[in-house]
Amino acid sequence: MPKKTLTVGFADQLTSIEAEIPADEPRPWDADSHLTIVGKPLPRIDGHLKVSGRAKYTHDVQLPGMLYAAVLRCPLPCAKITKISITGAEKAPGVKAAIAVAARGDRIVFAGQDIAAVAAERLELAHDALALVEIEYEALPFVVDTQLAAKAGAPSVHEGAVSERRTEGDEPGAGAGAGPQGNVRKMPDSERGDASKALKKAAVVHEASYTTQVQVHNALETHGIVVRWDAKDKLTAWASTQGIFSVRDELVEIFGLKPADVTVITEFLGGGFGAKFGASAPGSRIGFIAGELARKAGAPVKLMCDRHEEQVCTGNRPDSYQDVRIGADASGKLVALHVKSLGTAGIGTGAGIGRNAFSVYTKIANVLVEASDVFTNAGPATAMRAPGHPQGAFAIELAIDELARKMKKDPLKLRIAHDEHPLRKWQFEEGAKKFGWTEARARAAAGRTGKTRMRSGYGVAASIWGDFGRGGAAQVTATVGRDGTVVVRNGVQDIGTGIGTVLAQVAAEVLSLPVDRIDVEIGRSGYGSSVGSGGSTTTSSVTPAVRNAFEQVKTKLVALAAAQLGVGNNDVVWGPGGRTNGGGKSLTFEQLCKKMPGEAIVVTASRADTFGHHPMQFMGRPTQQIAGVQFAEVEVDTWTGAVRCTRVLAMHDCGRVMNELLTKSQVNGGVILGTSYALLEERVLDRDFGRMLNANLENYKIAGAKDIPEIDVVLTDVHAGNNSTGAIGIGEPSTIPTAAAIACAVYDAIGVPVRSLPITPAKILAALGRIPGSKGPT
Amino acid sequence: MTSPTLTRRGLLRGAGTASVLASCTKPASDADSNAPIVTDANAPAEIGPDAATVAFTLDGKAMTVSVEPRVTLLDALRNDLGVTGPKLVCDRGACGACTVLVDGLPRNSCMMLAHDVAGANVTTVAGLGNGDELSALQAAFVRHDALQCGFCTSGMLTSCAALLRRVGSGGSKLTAGAVREAISGNLCRCGTYPHVVAAVLEVAGAKPSTRSSGPQKPTTAPAREEVG
Repeated sequence: MPKKTLTVGFADQLTSIEAEIPADEPRPWDADSHLTIVGKPLPRIDGHLKVSGRAKYTHDVQLPGMLYAAVLRCPLPCAKITKISITGAEKAPGVKAAIAVAARGDRIVFAGQDIAAVAAERLELAHDALALVEIEYEALPFVVDTQLAAKAGAPSVHEGAVSERRTEGDEPGAGAGAGPQGNVRKMPDSERGDASKALKKAAVVHEASYTTQVQVHNALETHGIVVRWDAKDKLTAWASTQGIFSVRDELVEIFGLKPADVTVITEFLGGGFGAKFGASAPGSRIGFIAGELARKAGAPVKLMCDRHEEQVCTGNRPDSYQDVRIGADASGKLVALHVKSLGTAGIGTGAGIGRNAFSVYTKIANVLVEASDVFTNAGPATAMRAPGHPQGAFAIELAIDELARKMKKDPLKLRIAHDEHPLRKWQFEEGAKKFGWTEARARAAAGRTGKTRMRSGYGVAASIWGDFGRGGAAQVTATVGRDGTVVVRNGVQDIGTGIGTVLAQVAAEVLSLPVDRIDVEIGRSGYGSSVGSGGSTTTSSVTPAVRNAFEQVKTKLVALAAAQLGVGNNDVVWGPGGRTNGGGKSLTFEQLCKKMPGEAIVVTASRADTFGHHPMQFMGRPTQQIAGVQFAEVEVDTWTGAVRCTRVLAMHDCGRVMNELLTKSQVNGGVILGTSYALLEERVLDRDFGRMLNANLENYKIAGAKDIPEIDVVLTDVHAGNNSTGAIGIGEPSTIPTAAAIACAVYDAIGVPVRSLPITPAKILAALGRIPGSKGPT
Repeated sequence: MTSPTLTRRGLLRGAGTASVLASCTKPASDADSNAPIVTDANAPAEIGPDAATVAFTLDGKAMTVSVEPRVTLLDALRNDLGVTGPKLVCDRGACGACTVLVDGLPRNSCMMLAHDVAGANVTTVAGLGNGDELSALQAAFVRHDALQCGFCTSGMLTSCAALLRRVGSGGSKLTAGAVREAISGNLCRCGTYPHVVAAVLEVAGAKPSTRSSGPQKPTTAPAREEVG
């Protein structure tokens, strides 16, 4: 491969490297590239559609003759179906089709599982009809509590083998688990050195258990799909999905169709957060149901989950019970870390705890991280924004603070001393100055000493993620027409990040045109294969393909200009507005386009595999490790236990920042989701009845405008030499450290740790020993 | 005032769910929301259970729709009239995504029945601008990126438009806390709140506070359930 000299690094830590770049790739944009459109804080190009109510989501799709579907769900957490009949429902007013999704003899394993479904002229009529489904169950023993389910003798959740459901939302490289023992199924360990031995020799050891709750994605647009059969073996589906091609592939499989005969459309998407891959929801076969009802009824069918269904059967973030042991030698150097975790993904798999414990503080020589899935009779978990990481970060970061307190060390300095990532160390140091760390911690200490009622506290935590951008996955078509139109086309969906705007910026940058000259066509499977919006990979997978396609178009345009100007290709100077100059003459972009021999110049291109990383490799992969740290300030009322997060400083890296405004929006979102997770959210299951008690949005609390901190976002451009645009990703890393930093801040404020999320007033009062009969620190 | 006042909340309360609902609304304002919202002297004393016609003004245009009395205003707007601004998210007044203005006041359209708005003026997000032209507030939302997935945006804008109407010429005194109070019933999952606050303050002509996105004590009284 040809070698090219690149300037890589960040801030004032820049260096030259010789990088091997595939021959068909342009020289990557690096620190020496002076870009005028990419990186700018431009408003999103489709904003006007969203602020006027004209943006059409799957939720808004209405087709002629369309029917509304509703699903009957099992009210019991474990049961055998002894009778099922849909005859009554089939004959109900307005009903055009009914199907039984479960059969007599089936063993149902969670409250909310699909039983039967109908399609009717109106949604009210569909619900009326479900009441006419005749169904009888034999209740079976069940368990919904993670720790009880892990014990020997607990009711078995699954009777047969369990298949692992993986999506593009899962972190690449996470290993598959072993066969289960009872309800417990061990995942592969992460290990270096000998943690047990080192802990025995350690001068100081901190040991404690940390727990996190189940969090539900709760995208505002629920899971949903509209299916229309265009012919016997051809269909169109509108889906609320973050993976258009995952929906297509599942519909192809379910109905035995050819990929070319399935069109999937997602013009706009009301959030996903990891739960929306495939035609079905993680715990409900909505793709099959809508498709089958549509086929039976001979009419398009719309199936949107309601909020209750969204809460119980469309995925969640698993809980965790983590036993942590961390030890240091007499000099204060961390020498050993052992984390052993149980978590439940309900009937599903994937309750890991991310990479934080193993991969952030890499100077800890002896580490063992063990994690197991525990099956329970609850709706399956699925990837949720940085799967596993917020759970893992919470335990390890709070444990580090507790050990630091024991050793009378500054927890920030302890972190810097054990982190090898140059950028994360820089973020810790620069962030501390910006946040006023030293002064703030002194204020908190004074508050603890003076035993004042209102306390402030300050914490910090780290984020780790990788550049998981994929070569070859996104096929982008660049078109420049004879009339001067410029179109970028790809079948990617916009989950809310504004990816279409960024694609337009890249095209505009290459051609030196204003962004509003670029037409963006996305959100449709026919627009060319693309990636799902998962793993924080969209921008890094698609934008390099856009650049590569438009660079090829530009090469053709330069040749055209050279012929018109009567100069050699190398003598053509491409100027602002796409004006070409050479031989003392010049052509406007429009004049040049008119000279095309055909109607348009069209190039479809992709990107190569990631071709480099700097300054830090993601463990076990030939790609960049991206860094982030967050500092949090909390205020705690020690009389009432009321706690709020008042300030967060979020320092993040996402490779090259493609659009500062949109990126900051995403980071705000990560911090707010993390704050909500830290202080408010919790799925509550009734142990005796096995049902979710707060399957709504008034008792399942998500952060509102008054519950959030002031957020200061600092983005650092990092030139990693990784792909042609240098983009990486930000969605997931921005939510990883928030809850951990808040928990550390609460510890700083009140002097005792709250080792359980969410940190509620009750838990704070218990930790302070202010609840009679409580044991004190949790 | 002889209207049937068939509020959905009233129906639910009659069914014995008052305690559940009381826990999710402000007690002080709950009584007010029981009052008749809109009245129409010509409305029939009894309607249903079959579909009946209801007439009202939607985004400046006269509109009639025939729906059963149990149909919410939100469902009638979306499913019968093809309106796409207000969104169904929680279906029980907890998230604000379905907020519309009824005679100028922000209401959760999922908590009203279609027949409640007989004779009333209903404004959705589509009616905030002037035809295809965005209002200053809508344009500021775009400029500040006060939207991500966009699913909360219609309700967010409607609540903020009502706030700006309430403060009238006193916009320069508007505080970030007052904006947060006004949108405290509008849930967003993507995290747009800081940019929403910045957009509203800019349009109001207020100086953004130094802690533009941080929590403050409520500084204004109005909350969505108090009006009516």
